[in-house]
Amino acid sequence: MGATHLPERGRCPMTFDRVAVVEDALDALLAGLAPAEHRLSPDDAVRPGSGLTVRRAVELFEDQVTSRQVDRAARELKKTNRSFHTITGAGHENNAVLGAQLRITDPAFLHYRSGGFMMARARQLPGSTPAFDALLGIVASREDPIAQGRHKVWGSRSLWVPPQTSTIASHLPKAVGMAYSLARARRLGLADELPSDAIVMCSFGDATVNHATALAAFNTARYGARIGLPMPILFVCEDNQTGISVPTPEGWIEATFSSQPHLHYRRARGDLDEVWDAVSEAIHVVRAAREPLFLHLDVVRLWGHAGSDAEQTYRTADEIALTEQEDPLLRNARRLVKTGAATPDQLRDLVTDARDRVWAAAEEATSRPRLATTEEVTAPLAPYHADRIAIRAAEPVLGEPERSAAFGGILPEVATTPTSRTMAGHLNAALTDELARRPELLLFGEDVARKGGVYNVTHDLQRRFGAGRVFDTLLDETSILGIAQGAAHAGLLPIAEIQYLAYIHNALDQIRGEAASIQFFSSGQFRNPMVVRLPGLAYQKGFGGHFHNDNSVGALRDIPGVVLAVPSNGADAARMLRGSIAMALEDGRVVLFLEPIALYHERDLHTDGDGGWLGAYPPPPAFLLPGEVGVYDTDAPDLLIVSYANGLRMSLQAQAILARDHGVRARVVDLRWLNPLPIEAVRDHAADCGRVLVVDECRATGGGVADALIADLAEHAFDGGLASVRAVDSFVPLGSATSAVLVGLDQVVAAAVETARRPSAAMPRRSAAGRTG
Amino acid sequence: MTADAGPERPRAVLVLPGRGAYTASTLGSIPADHPLVTRAEAIRAELGLDSLLALDAADTFEPSVHLRPANASPLIFLGALLDAERATADHRLVAVIGNSLGWYTALAVSGALEFDDAFRLVQGIALLQEEAAERGITGGQLIYPRVDVDWQPVEAYAAALEAALTDGANGAQAETDDAAGGPGDGGGESRATDPDRAYPSVDLGAYVVLAASDAGLARLIEALPPVTVGERQFPLRLAFHGPYHTPLLASVAEAATERFTELPWRAPSVTLIDGRGVRFTPWATDPAELARYTLGEQIVTPYHFAASARVALREYAPERLVLTGPGNTLGGVVGQLLVGEGYHGIRTRADFESAQAGAAPLVLSMGR
Repeated sequence: MGATHLPERGRCPMTFDRVAVVEDALDALLAGLAPAEHRLSPDDAVRPGSGLTVRRAVELFEDQVTSRQVDRAARELKKTNRSFHTITGAGHENNAVLGAQLRITDPAFLHYRSGGFMMARARQLPGSTPAFDALLGIVASREDPIAQGRHKVWGSRSLWVPPQTSTIASHLPKAVGMAYSLARARRLGLADELPSDAIVMCSFGDATVNHATALAAFNTARYGARIGLPMPILFVCEDNQTGISVPTPEGWIEATFSSQPHLHYRRARGDLDEVWDAVSEAIHVVRAAREPLFLHLDVVRLWGHAGSDAEQTYRTADEIALTEQEDPLLRNARRLVKTGAATPDQLRDLVTDARDRVWAAAEEATSRPRLATTEEVTAPLAPYHADRIAIRAAEPVLGEPERSAAFGGILPEVATTPTSRTMAGHLNAALTDELARRPELLLFGEDVARKGGVYNVTHDLQRRFGAGRVFDTLLDETSILGIAQGAAHAGLLPIAEIQYLAYIHNALDQIRGEAASIQFFSSGQFRNPMVVRLPGLAYQKGFGGHFHNDNSVGALRDIPGVVLAVPSNGADAARMLRGSIAMALEDGRVVLFLEPIALYHERDLHTDGDGGWLGAYPPPPAFLLPGEVGVYDTDAPDLLIVSYANGLRMSLQAQAILARDHGVRARVVDLRWLNPLPIEAVRDHAADCGRVLVVDECRATGGGVADALIADLAEHAFDGGLASVRAVDSFVPLGSATSAVLVGLDQVVAAAVETARRPSAAMPRRSAAGRTG
Repeated sequence: MTADAGPERPRAVLVLPGRGAYTASTLGSIPADHPLVTRAEAIRAELGLDSLLALDAADTFEPSVHLRPANASPLIFLGALLDAERATADHRLVAVIGNSLGWYTALAVSGALEFDDAFRLVQGIALLQEEAAERGITGGQLIYPRVDVDWQPVEAYAAALEAALTDGANGAQAETDDAAGGPGDGGGESRATDPDRAYPSVDLGAYVVLAASDAGLARLIEALPPVTVGERQFPLRLAFHGPYHTPLLASVAEAATERFTELPWRAPSVTLIDGRGVRFTPWATDPAELARYTLGEQIVTPYHFAASARVALREYAPERLVLTGPGNTLGGVVGQLLVGEGYHGIRTRADFESAQAGAAPLVLSMGR
């Protein structure tokens, strides 16, 4: 490498091994500094009036140097393909000041340049080994105490640092959600491992603030403060003036955040003791006032964005060299020596020791084993302990007096008014039962409280259980899901509602990137159990249009570890909700609970007024779990119809028509769970019936489950008639035009008749019994 | 980066033994002509105590004499310190750890205390321990395993320990403290009012030392299922040991604080890792804090030797662990910690033994 690779704008020849250049600069500085005439004592303030003592200052410097050496090892090991993560904290090490001053009972949601922070925070927990732990992450060892090699993340259960990748600000909403939930959990009298004055911190870069997700989080924090809620969150913007290759406009952060209503602003810059004091004040404000604060921490980025980033392609040599002169390690070393906090010799010894031990530890870390098998990698992804879930679902049991009180006198299973027996009524009753018997349960979303939900599903629940547990949120799906994650971290069990299925796409990364991944990236040490209620799917009468009738679950089904429940009738909905809550409680699962809006108030099955879609309320503890399908006409031999939700009801209508008009006895199976699919049950019934029709109301291409079911049967050598009906790949139009794109009854009947004529793959004994057509 | 290391003396962690290190087999190990021995003898004479050289030169080992705290502690301290001096010549020390009494030796080795001061401290604490016993603060320690003869964890042993510390010998009120975990994960104030409750005392990783009053020890021995590991039977009571590292010695801590806080404590010249796993470095040590820990917390809370070793192994990654004499009481314990950590790929007792048989053994036991 050499001058020939320099951009033309650069004037001085430069080596591209900037790691070595930066290291040499520290050595040169320490070699050239003269000790101060006056030495301070360990308990002296570094500067009169500063809260930073000499001993803390030198410890901080050591933490910063240690972090730098871990980063250096990451780059060095990469040369021999022994490290797998080269995004470093070089230049950001003043975040160690926050690590030293925040308590380990102040949850911290960290940016990926947080090495200094972690080294300093770990000092608060005797016996910690932060350098080695970080190195194990970099080399992707399964001994990495947080992620076991699944990612290089900053995280620690004992230090209260939930891990996330933090690359696109997706961790900010849950940090806000947790700040929002701390006081709520305490008011509910729930066991809380955090002290009453705990605050939440989250850090991010200056480019990250531009993400919609980040702006949503700031907005929600301010909104909460505006309406008088305790919102003890410390936002820390580590401003290195760059987003990968794109410079942040001069003064952008201060201009944008220094004068927002309901958001305190402080800036931390200058010498180490000045940074210390600014951080100290910021923490104090948040802790005492329980209000959000934006801390603007000035840092620089050394060595490019990551190991693979050729910084010289977008910055001149002079620019790079100038940034390196701003290295906080240089500045802090000068300060420590100048104030008499340390001698140059001491700092030299400190640096030598850190280099020596971190490199030795890095070599040791590379010898540690990595995850090898699929089982090892996926172990924390989707825990499922059916026996323990069953116990969770069954307990606690409330006596009749307590239940009656919750229901205002009349238990739903003995109520006689028909409305109490629609799916909406069943869900309302099931939510009432769960709220009554589980004090940790919260229910929230847009319009769920005062209004009782757009479709009355949550009617009266706020009045019954109070605004502390049932509440309206602001209109932002990202924040609703952030509150859900934060509430779960605070020990609560959130049931969040996203008003329409289509709206979750506004915020899906909160599930995809964060909620669903926390157990994976923390090896099960952190979890955010939740149930997200999603009213959705099509067929609403009189309320049309795509955004209220979205009929695709494709983007939900491909998220690893997420459970997707879709009831088709009220009794199932109540039992599935209980199973979902039990899964969340026991195994920390994230359950998406898709409620077919068109069936909320449906009462009839075949003819108007037949009441065929009403049902008796199954009182607790009756519950359903994934794999348990609904079967209609278990002996039907001719054809298996597999469906769910609106399609299920339509399939039952078809079942009657097929028997009456076509002499076909069809068995109908309700999948109930679209993730994981009850594939074993489908295979068994398919083998029994010999022919299969999948009725999938979702969009044809990847929108539903037809592809997955038919592929599975084909791959398992099912060779009977196999067909599907699906919705058209279109957005859903208004009015009667919907029938042009949605699956209709005629279509189901026609497909069933046609499929029933095809060869059967049913077992011979079935044929011998004369039960196939 | 590798070029920095150079063909120097091996980077080593020094490991200093605790009480129990001086036995019949270590008689005669103190050199009469060493200047530090001369100074130690002078201090002993000044305090009206028997000559250590005379004790060391005895024909027979008399437990009631040699294991008396006021004799055993300085004998071990002195023997370990002299070994450490020799080890320093052949190794580049990156950190020093000690087990229990070995912490005081570590203070002297690292220069945190001058020899005379450290010796007076060790001698003084031993005398305070004896005085406490004379005042009726009796009791002792027993040791119990967590591993089998192949150094693999045995769940039943861990469960027995936990039970003994909770309901088995302790009554429902007692807390488990942190015998089974690392330092820092206990932390709650003691809810126990039982004067005979059992305490975790020293965490050796593969073994746990528990302490209690005499009555409490008897109850513990009753509660812990007898097990045999190799040729040794457990629970094993440690002869002439008091209930060290427990609140039972609060009066010793008080007296020690009063008497020794004013010693000229200094930052160590090499990093010390204490019985919590906290590092005291040459550049960021507050001598007052070192004194506070040594004379207070260290005396009345469990000594997590395993945590100190773990920090040394993970954060310093030494090429060698040098175990000083007297004796080789920590050889197996350190081997078991290496296995537990998987250090240098050592994951079984057989791995360890074969690594030790190689040209550059990882563990050097000077007192063998």
